Amino acid sequence: MNTVVADITYRAMLGRKRIWLLVLLPVALIAIAVLLRLIAGVNEHTAVTLMQTFAIGMMLPLLGLIAGTGVIAPEIEDGTIIHLLAKPIARPVIALTKFVVAASLLAVFAAVPTFIAAYILVRGESGVAWGFALGSLFGAVAYAAVFLLLGVVTRHAVAIGVIYALIWEGLVGGYVPGARKFSIQQWAQSLADQVSSSPFFTTDVSLSFAIPAMIIVTLGALWLAGQRLRTLSLTGDD
Amino acid sequence: MTAVIHDIGYRRYDGPRLGRFPAALALARHSLRGAYGLGRPAKSKILPFLIAAIMMLPAVVSIAVMALLKQEAISYPAYMVTMEAVIAIFLATQSPYMVAPDLRFRVLPLYLSRPVGIVDYVGAKLAALATALFVLLAVPLTILFIGELLIDLPGPPHTHDYLAALVGGVVLSVLLASIGLALASFTPRRGLGVASVIAFYLFTSAVSAVFVGVLQSVGKSEAAAWAWLANPFFLVDAVQVWLFGTNPIGDGYPPGPWALVIVLVVTALAVLGLLARYRKAATA
Repeated sequence: MNTVVADITYRAMLGRKRIWLLVLLPVALIAIAVLLRLIAGVNEHTAVTLMQTFAIGMMLPLLGLIAGTGVIAPEIEDGTIIHLLAKPIARPVIALTKFVVAASLLAVFAAVPTFIAAYILVRGESGVAWGFALGSLFGAVAYAAVFLLLGVVTRHAVAIGVIYALIWEGLVGGYVPGARKFSIQQWAQSLADQVSSSPFFTTDVSLSFAIPAMIIVTLGALWLAGQRLRTLSLTGDD
Repeated sequence: MTAVIHDIGYRRYDGPRLGRFPAALALARHSLRGAYGLGRPAKSKILPFLIAAIMMLPAVVSIAVMALLKQEAISYPAYMVTMEAVIAIFLATQSPYMVAPDLRFRVLPLYLSRPVGIVDYVGAKLAALATALFVLLAVPLTILFIGELLIDLPGPPHTHDYLAALVGGVVLSVLLASIGLALASFTPRRGLGVASVIAFYLFTSAVSAVFVGVLQSVGKSEAAAWAWLANPFFLVDAVQVWLFGTNPIGDGYPPGPWALVIVLVVTALAVLGLLARYRKAATA
């Protein structure tokens, strides 16, 4: 961890237009929760639907993508990363710092609103709120690491991340059960399922697979990102 | 000592000057080629052509099914809703390319110092992206139609459905292109542009899915019919249903021309936003 790097990254993330995307989605989630509460009352089924399709299925990967690539990709894109890399700071430390910034932003902008939205809909019932908050927190950590790695590896990080989230986790995961095993979204849901006892909510990836997978993916992606930063070449395309 | 201006042989251009419209047309053509990566490095060609290939898959499978089982597999008007995620990815990855580099490198004044005005510039970019989207959808539809004609299924060919799907494709292309460009033009960064366009698609489709599900479960199916329209793809499907009486993909839409009205209003707002953005960018 390097606090100066962290400070600069926070300012870059929060001071620009990027913040609007980070804020708008959670605000919309909470607004929808309020609206659904007015339409359907306290309803566990509604809460689980909203959490699965919106909070974990849509908001978490999207925010993960914005935060995970946003902490490093713009700097690589316009070449200013060179000033950072020229400082006597170990490259893996830079990667770790950027990851911590992304993960902490996601905790604030994804996990907390997820909890608030679920709490509005069901209060503390069946542990739905706690479960999904925890699931999205751990999912956020894994997404942050993976998309950070993507941001270091390629200029088209956001496009590739979108394809992973939409095609692999969304489309393929919808039809092919085996694909769900390799989806961060599903691991987050497994965790949520472990905490919540809601009958409307079942997952098909076992926890004994999800947790080790999550840890391995996070640490692996972080290590790789650190290694890639050591030999980063600044070449332009387009 | 007196200064001397040397004549080093510069010559003025005295050929024909084509003016505003051909200039805008050239810009549109250039942007359209760029949307498919033509005239750009090989890496930029991978994604658009991969997406175009994926768009072909249902048509190919459907032709195979028609040839072997002698029955229709996928209906023409359902094509765009089936492939909505793929079309959305194309929109999200290509619309920032249309606008971001010109904004980032601040070359807009160079365009505007020519006969091309802001309206021409925005119009050319819109036309290029809409055409790119339409081609993406129309090519598999047309191949599917040719396949159907060649296989000669029992009963008359679905010419009406095919034409309805093409008109729907035009509506969808114009709608998505104007929204995509309006969102992408707010940032000169490509990555953020991709993220905001895909956020728009994911947000509208998730909102639509959640509200349809919840409203149907509490028995408010009339309100649920409206919730379908939050998703742009179902919105255009509703336009198709109203204009041509095709089979709806959702469980029924609100009756009347509302879907078309919404499409027109949203498109107009997006184009106005785009023009306002470029008026500002041109002076900056």
